[in-house]
Amino acid sequence: MAVSTIYSTQALNSTHFLTSSSSSKQVFLYRRQPQTNRRFNTLITCAQETIVIGLAADSGCGKSTFMRRLTSVFGGAAKPPKGGNPDSNTLISDTTTVICLDDYHSLDRYGRKEQKVTALDPRANDFDLMYEQVKALKNGIAVEKPIYNHVTGLLDPPELIQPPKILVIEGLHPMFDERVRDLLDFSIYLDISNEVKFAWKIQRDMAERGHSLESIKASIEARKPDFDAFIDPQKQYADAVIEVLPTTLIPDDNEGKVLRVRLIMKEGVKYFSPVYLFDEGSTISWIPCGRKLTCSYPGIKFNYEPDSYFDHEVSVLEMDGQFDRLDELIYVESHLSNLSTKFYGEVTQQMLKHADFPGSNNGTGLFQTIVGLKIRDLYEQLIANKATARAEAKA
Amino acid sequence: MATIATGLNIATQRVFVTSENRPVCLAGPVHLNNSWNLGSRTTNRMMKLQPIKAAPEGGISDVVEKSIKEAQETCAGDPVSGECVAAWDEVEELSAAASHARDKKKADGSDPLEEYCKDNPETNECRTYDN
Repeated sequence: MAVSTIYSTQALNSTHFLTSSSSSKQVFLYRRQPQTNRRFNTLITCAQETIVIGLAADSGCGKSTFMRRLTSVFGGAAKPPKGGNPDSNTLISDTTTVICLDDYHSLDRYGRKEQKVTALDPRANDFDLMYEQVKALKNGIAVEKPIYNHVTGLLDPPELIQPPKILVIEGLHPMFDERVRDLLDFSIYLDISNEVKFAWKIQRDMAERGHSLESIKASIEARKPDFDAFIDPQKQYADAVIEVLPTTLIPDDNEGKVLRVRLIMKEGVKYFSPVYLFDEGSTISWIPCGRKLTCSYPGIKFNYEPDSYFDHEVSVLEMDGQFDRLDELIYVESHLSNLSTKFYGEVTQQMLKHADFPGSNNGTGLFQTIVGLKIRDLYEQLIANKATARAEAKA
Repeated sequence: MATIATGLNIATQRVFVTSENRPVCLAGPVHLNNSWNLGSRTTNRMMKLQPIKAAPEGGISDVVEKSIKEAQETCAGDPVSGECVAAWDEVEELSAAASHARDKKKADGSDPLEEYCKDNPETNECRTYDN
């Protein structure tokens, strides 16, 4: 007797369960047969699985372009929680919840001033609470997460976070604490070079009254010792690193407009196969400009090669330069493999869909989109693998 | 600077006029209440209560400007001291918040009805019909 199951997405995110097991939900369905008046009980188990993604970045917590590209690949637009604190740093979509790790500050702005520490210092962050809450969400338990208000500098009343399918923890320290690191199914480090960081902060801050080149430079230099001590070492643990550097196509370029972006992918990560260009494991240098790809100065150059990164075997895919016409990206996409696309041209479609996002014409947009596809693939593989394991356990 | 007693909750969303005669909306209501339901927390944390500064005139732009001046003064003597580094860290945090506020204002188009309808699409005021 076939039984159809109808449930809403909201039901999948429900924390209500009928058994002591916190990792599965059971739905009892009753069906009345027309010939007889007997009722049948059908038991269906809906497994709620949460994967945890860590993203380390210097700033721009929760509202970054990367987050919007990521949640777009997973489906649905991420928005702040409805009816909640308007200063919340959390983003929620149908499948994804993005948590800003600034919410786990143990010192607010005034406490940090008193203690003379930056937000990058581990002493200003509560790693015990971070670990407990990420672990609870991964196990399907909702948490009351604190909210750090970036405007007032104070800790606001907490908000209730339901366990999602994909949990992204984004901020300064997703890979700092070993316990939190072990909870991550995949981790990414955004490695912005000092020159690019300076150029981006000029672009961001010169619109603000009071700022000047001197103040922007002083701010970066003051934070650098703590950044080098507590943030930068995390990249050795990342499964993927996106390095953003000035271009090498323009000699002595100091504008920071044209970027060279490297996607460094670790080999041997479970459920993750690195992307490759032309032939897996080969060394490629490729200028795709010609009849199929329009390029203006300074052009585009791709590199692909195996390498070593912190004594770990990696594959590196690099793009220097920028696209003139995004619709022609399909030509480049057709030469990349292991993209985990569901149909031909999905990368190009995603890029065109968000052509207005910053970085859409250079490697940052391309590699962020590719990482989003790899995370979706990782989620699907992990869910399928757990389903298989459960089926085998029953046998 | 006036201070407000701890626990007093003020939520305000007002239009301020800056020195350039431009109306500036705060990014959202500013919640100054720093007390919360401690019983709901999963761990015990010692929270030191302290006076809260009132929402400053001119919104976050003025706060950024003040923090930059303060950082420059703090760092005049010893640029590698803890006070100096913490002061510039505050500038960085406030600059990022100001940037987000600008982006949000740009994205929302400063239309309060659109903002309201985003959060409450089911209400009568927000209904649209295709025919």
